[in-house]
Amino acid sequence: MTLSTAMGAYLSMRGSRKTDDTGRRPDENYAREVMQLFTIGLTELNRDGTPKLVKGAEADTYDEDSVAGLARAFTGWDFNNTKTESRSSPMQPVADRHEMGIKEFLGIKIPQNTSARETLRIALDHLFNHENVGPFIGKQLIQRLVTSNPSPKYVERVTDVFNNNGSKVRGDLAAVLKAILLDPEARNTATVLADPNGGKLREPVLRFAAWSRACDTSSASGLWAIGNVSDPARFLGQSPMRSPSVFNFYRPGYLPPNTAIATAKKVAPEFQITTETSVAGYLNFMQGAITGSTDAKANYAKWLALAGDPVALAAEANLLLAANQFSLPRLKLMGETIAAMPFATNANLLDRVHVAVFLTLAAPEFLVTK
Amino acid sequence: MTSNNSRREFIKRASALSATGAAAPWALNLAAMGEAAAQSGPKDYKALVCIFLYGGNDHGNTLVPYDETTYKTYASMRGVLATEKSRLKDTLLTGATGLTPERQYALAPELLPLMPMYNEGRMGVLLNIGPLIQPTSKTQYENRSVPLPPKLFSHNDQQSVWQASNPEGASSGWGGRMGDLFAAGNSQATFTAISVAGNAIYLSGKTQPQYQLSSNGPVSINGIGIGIGNTLYGSSAAAQAMRKFITSSPSSNNFEREYAKIIQRSIDANVSYTKAMDGAPVVETVFPPNGLAAQLKMVARMIAARNEFDAKRQVFFVSLGGFDHHDDLIGRHSGLLTQVGSAMAAFDQAMVDLKMSDQVTAFTASDFGRTLASNGDGSDHGWGSYHFITGGAIKPRTFFGTAPILGDKSPDDVGQGRMLPSMAVDQLAATLATWMGVSKTNINEIVVPNIASYTTQNLGLFRAGL
Repeated sequence: MTLSTAMGAYLSMRGSRKTDDTGRRPDENYAREVMQLFTIGLTELNRDGTPKLVKGAEADTYDEDSVAGLARAFTGWDFNNTKTESRSSPMQPVADRHEMGIKEFLGIKIPQNTSARETLRIALDHLFNHENVGPFIGKQLIQRLVTSNPSPKYVERVTDVFNNNGSKVRGDLAAVLKAILLDPEARNTATVLADPNGGKLREPVLRFAAWSRACDTSSASGLWAIGNVSDPARFLGQSPMRSPSVFNFYRPGYLPPNTAIATAKKVAPEFQITTETSVAGYLNFMQGAITGSTDAKANYAKWLALAGDPVALAAEANLLLAANQFSLPRLKLMGETIAAMPFATNANLLDRVHVAVFLTLAAPEFLVTK
Repeated sequence: MTSNNSRREFIKRASALSATGAAAPWALNLAAMGEAAAQSGPKDYKALVCIFLYGGNDHGNTLVPYDETTYKTYASMRGVLATEKSRLKDTLLTGATGLTPERQYALAPELLPLMPMYNEGRMGVLLNIGPLIQPTSKTQYENRSVPLPPKLFSHNDQQSVWQASNPEGASSGWGGRMGDLFAAGNSQATFTAISVAGNAIYLSGKTQPQYQLSSNGPVSINGIGIGIGNTLYGSSAAAQAMRKFITSSPSSNNFEREYAKIIQRSIDANVSYTKAMDGAPVVETVFPPNGLAAQLKMVARMIAARNEFDAKRQVFFVSLGGFDHHDDLIGRHSGLLTQVGSAMAAFDQAMVDLKMSDQVTAFTASDFGRTLASNGDGSDHGWGSYHFITGGAIKPRTFFGTAPILGDKSPDDVGQGRMLPSMAVDQLAATLATWMGVSKTNINEIVVPNIASYTTQNLGLFRAGL
């Protein structure tokens, strides 16, 4: 990732050069964000993801000297213009742009006259072996995949697998994912459902994807040309590859103010992009999307086969989209709503399917995964 | 809202506000409640507008030193990033109060549209402002001998520190806490702290949530069963069911319940907004076609409709992103400043046209300032910055605070041209709160609890009597 030209351009490591007599300094962008966002974070962590306390206070992982030191280590890289595919080939070092003096950060010293490539290897290995990586990355993966508020014990179990997959390999992400998804805290439905702050809000793009999967969509153009759906007033308020900054669409530590979640001192990252505007924009967009307003076209054949039976249709929506999270009265209401609709024509039946699918996509039972 | 409701709402709020922490002494709680009562009934209208530049605005090329000596240091530190002096002639800020005679500044050429505001006395400059915990010298910074703002130089955290005095995870901001005090005095509490950008911690109160709307106003939910013949996929039963599904959750899960609450608020606010805007004065001022201008136009429309909303005190938030110019600063920063300049000038004109200029104060803010030193084609994360404060109530042609001395050896430079702030965001917050009519006690107890760390608690930004 560090040497990808896209990242090189995005976080401006590409073209960063050693200090020279014009007063020019190395670009600190990638050095700072690779630490803050991609590896260790800002605060020293215990294995369970809680902050390490030094004399009762949280401790910073790095200071400005480390940012400047790592920025020196990352100097000298540029597009590989010797290749025709220069933008899809990894960046290459340009020797006379790399800082050849001592590069010091996070407690290590890279000796002088170390090449750009060797420096990069040492620097990234040093970051990778920092004790924070397991809990920092592990906790965020849990938040993305399972729950916004994992217990420290859960984080610790995942950290342990990150640190050692059982065969003394550090950073085996397949093993980490397995540990996350098969953890008792992810699997034990009764415990999750009993916790008033259990689960997480599904982010808008994943709602669209959930519909797309459950309703067997295909791309009319073959390109999945969904377009930019960032505008919360008209679309999803989120669009793949278009987060407003490297800090993503929302922050893992977002506390939604004035909610019972915040009162319980719990976080709800996805609520950061949830507003009076976005909740309405989402509903309006999906009302059209499920009828084929975008390039993703559903195949409702299996659903249509159930459309004559309101109870079965409601049950299908509940199962495929909402993991059977609807309460019986709500399921009953959905069935009755469908039953009140005509079914004489194919168009009538399709409307019934649209209602079953849309009501589910609109409901909190679907929006919050548990 | 009837006066009875209003009083009950007020007592509820005052009690919630005073319960800032279990450890707060009872006497303080009583004081906060008593003072909060006095806050509930302003007769006139005032509003604050925060214009947040996300990403950390490059202050060095926003307000450029113009006097010979300082410009020379600026140019040598900036290298290729320096704005040529010949381009600054038309934006030189003349006749300034608050600067020593040897110092001069010019606006970035792209900010030319702000010149009439400055020349006609509706714009001031905040020199070297940034988050602090207490007044801090360079030695104290270097020795870490005084408390410093947490997580300096980190985008998300410094955005939060600017807006809420705390890093990511903060639960209320100083704009929102002002909103808490004024919500009961507005007929419709929902329209007290209003963001036309996304969620901003600045606007979150301890009791009053922020309300968010788009540049075109609230979004109506289609097929929700309001109005005759309103159906969902041809079915009015489905429309009714949808409304029930989205506005309630039978589960005890807080995520579900809070989501449903936001939808309910969205629907209710839309109804109130539509009613209030119907017949409200129209904003005739022409705004340029850019996103920030569209947000500010929405704010202007709300201000024009203040009587229809029966609002007395409002805090607004708008934003523009993309200021993290580590590279291609010259090319990209100038485009953003062009938007900022034209949007702010249009908003100022709208306030003049509405005769609301003396009652509406806008100010810019950003994650942090940047390094003055160049990394070749951009600048890196800094701390102190320059910002603008605008409106008819601001003292004319005035620079507030102290012009920083540039250069490595300077007591104002903590490395690579990162400025150590000499004016704290807390001081700005307290000054703005005072202008809004927040009592000293409420500033100390509720809006800016850290203000006690400063001897100067009012920056004197406003003209007497306004």
